[in-house]
Amino acid sequence: MKTFLKYTLLASVVAVTTAAQAEVNIVSWGGAYTASQQKAYQDTYKDPGSINFINYNGGLGEVRTQVESGNVTWDIVDVLPHEGRVGCDEGLFEELDRSVFKPAPDGTSMEDDMMIKLPNDCVVPQIFWSYVPFYQEGTFKGEQPTTIADFFNVKKFPGKRGIHTWPNALIEMALAADGVAIKDIYKVMSTDEGIDRAFKMLDKIKNDAVFWSAGSKPLELVQSGEVSMALAYNGRVGAAMLSEGAKFVPVWDGQVLEEEWLVLMKGAPHRKEAIDFLVHASTTESQALQAKYINYGPMRASAFDVMKKGEPWFHNGKNIMEHMPNRPEVMARTIVANPEWWADYGDSVAERYTAWMGQ
Amino acid sequence: MSATPETIDGPLLTADGVPLKASLQKSLRRAKLRAALLVAPPLLFLIFLFIIPIGSMLTRSVDDTQINKVLPRTFEAFDAWDKKSDPPEALYEAMYLDLKNAEKIEIGQASTRMNYAEPGWRSLVKVTARRIKKIEPPYKEAFIKIDDRWAELTYWRSLGIMKDPITFGYYLNAVDLDYDFDKNIIQQDENRRVYNLLWWRTILVSVIVTLACLILAYPVSYLLATLPMRYSNLLMICVLMPFWTSLLVRIVAWMIMLQQNGVVNDTLVAVGILGDNNRLEMMYNFNGTVIVMTQILLPFMILPIFSVMKTIPPSYMKAAQNLGATPTLAFIRVYMPQTVPGVGAGCILVFIVAIGYYITPELVGGKDGRLIGNMVAYHMQRSLNWGLAAAMGTILLFMILLLYWIYDKIVGIDNMKMG
Repeated sequence: MKTFLKYTLLASVVAVTTAAQAEVNIVSWGGAYTASQQKAYQDTYKDPGSINFINYNGGLGEVRTQVESGNVTWDIVDVLPHEGRVGCDEGLFEELDRSVFKPAPDGTSMEDDMMIKLPNDCVVPQIFWSYVPFYQEGTFKGEQPTTIADFFNVKKFPGKRGIHTWPNALIEMALAADGVAIKDIYKVMSTDEGIDRAFKMLDKIKNDAVFWSAGSKPLELVQSGEVSMALAYNGRVGAAMLSEGAKFVPVWDGQVLEEEWLVLMKGAPHRKEAIDFLVHASTTESQALQAKYINYGPMRASAFDVMKKGEPWFHNGKNIMEHMPNRPEVMARTIVANPEWWADYGDSVAERYTAWMGQ
Repeated sequence: MSATPETIDGPLLTADGVPLKASLQKSLRRAKLRAALLVAPPLLFLIFLFIIPIGSMLTRSVDDTQINKVLPRTFEAFDAWDKKSDPPEALYEAMYLDLKNAEKIEIGQASTRMNYAEPGWRSLVKVTARRIKKIEPPYKEAFIKIDDRWAELTYWRSLGIMKDPITFGYYLNAVDLDYDFDKNIIQQDENRRVYNLLWWRTILVSVIVTLACLILAYPVSYLLATLPMRYSNLLMICVLMPFWTSLLVRIVAWMIMLQQNGVVNDTLVAVGILGDNNRLEMMYNFNGTVIVMTQILLPFMILPIFSVMKTIPPSYMKAAQNLGATPTLAFIRVYMPQTVPGVGAGCILVFIVAIGYYITPELVGGKDGRLIGNMVAYHMQRSLNWGLAAAMGTILLFMILLLYWIYDKIVGIDNMKMG
């Protein structure tokens, strides 16, 4: 009897229960960003308990592993622009039927309501965000930094600079600071001389650079005084300013505007529920609602209208439009990132950047 | 009557009439079988969940079969081309047929790989594949009309790097070499030489951290081993407490201590030892990496040395001093050699862990904190160049095996004790 019990216990311990939960797994970046997604999309969903947010650090490595091994546990992933393209090309994401998506309140279809053209059939609109230089009020006496060239000018605005450990946005900003017209930046970048020019500009801040890789780090660096100016995700800066009253000053000139997408994994375990959630998350109302909690820009133009009419829109009663990265007033001096270029040349530029960092 | 045993003719027999030899062999076999069955679960676990997955990952470091499967005709036509003159129509036709017949997903995966060989391939293939159905012969004209990069020799010649199903290209890239288009080995573009520096830096950091840990850990272990139980237990808790604290909490604590406006710098400035402009730079650089890694890996060095020291009888030291040795001489000649196994175990442990560490250096190392582990993670997650990541992993593996072999020759692996 004892041995029978022993073996049954062993068997039951060894037996793996793979009961599929009815929860849709959404993978996102955590922090204030995911909190805004939860408040705007999950809490307004018809069944909030069926959605589960997981944090990750980006990259398609895990996605590719899951799809290749056939053991997909994630349903929806929040991806960066070039990943949204690369993943779709490699068949890691599913192509969606656009007809299920909800139109704008005035009847415009989702595709026509987009502020940029959808690059492929896999991506679902999320937000615009930007890399923005910023500093703390009171750091500089007299003249204050107002242009991107000021970020690279350590003589006039002394102190260290906080920059990230990958080259995206840095190349564009360096060229803009060197005087290249915003509309010509990618043309210049597609030549070897252009990249050399960008790195020569980066050399100006080489000795004063402090590198960060986590989204909250640049805020810490500026707040602690370790650096006098840093590049950061505009949403983090805005969240600190709006919710915590931090005295940051963003420099919108020369900011680099990036896209962010939601995608459905190929072979997602809860496909139907996930698609339903994606439809809900991409409606005008949801897009506008997210801006109540974080200052990332919606991708649908109709959402902007909703927000403008509802100002002050931010959840604590402050105005949000002045913090939107894709508002019309700043678009003239905003560099709109080109993810196709980065999908092509990103790896070789990243290697050159790593070599540059190491010298 | 004396009980003299009878002489026995023939083989020895056991009680049930079976020859002793056979009986012995049978019971030995049964013992071996039992041992094998006991070892089987962990061995199978090791094979199926460790060796096979890691092995299949490592084979990616030489695997170039995917692209050869997707573009067979192109590579055939490529071989027939002299690679110097203008690409012939046959080459374009081969590419057209291959792109038309391949699955969209295969083209996507192939274009990712081709982009590693020559940046720009990805968009070139994508834009062409999208319009492949509308292309009419003559193919050369049609291709060049879609994108004038097709007329350039560079892209076509780069096919030379990819045409063998087994490639050492990734290993070359991992040490800052590259294939040129004729598959000769050349040095990587000067601007993109990054890996050799990282190999060197990783090994340097690991060696420095190991030595620092050894110097700091030896006295602490000695103290732990020789103090009376009451105090040594208290000290042991002090050693283990940081060990049980979250890694990130420790790292952030160090940041607060060592940064420009941190505790250490502020104290030194307040006391007057440093001027306000001369603050020590101890964070976000090489120093920060070494300091933080040393503190994190210290328990790995303290514990093996301590457990070996605990087994050394104090009588040896007393005997040596009795025979006339000074305390120092006795320590060096009698005590220290006996601690070598513990030191060896601690050093190996710390070195192997340190060489793979990348999160700590990334957080506190600033630009000096990029180690080879960061690049492996980058290629696994961001650039999706798993071939290169696998090549770097394999190189790390062989480096460790080589060091292990050297250690075995010098110290002897049987000399490694954990207590």
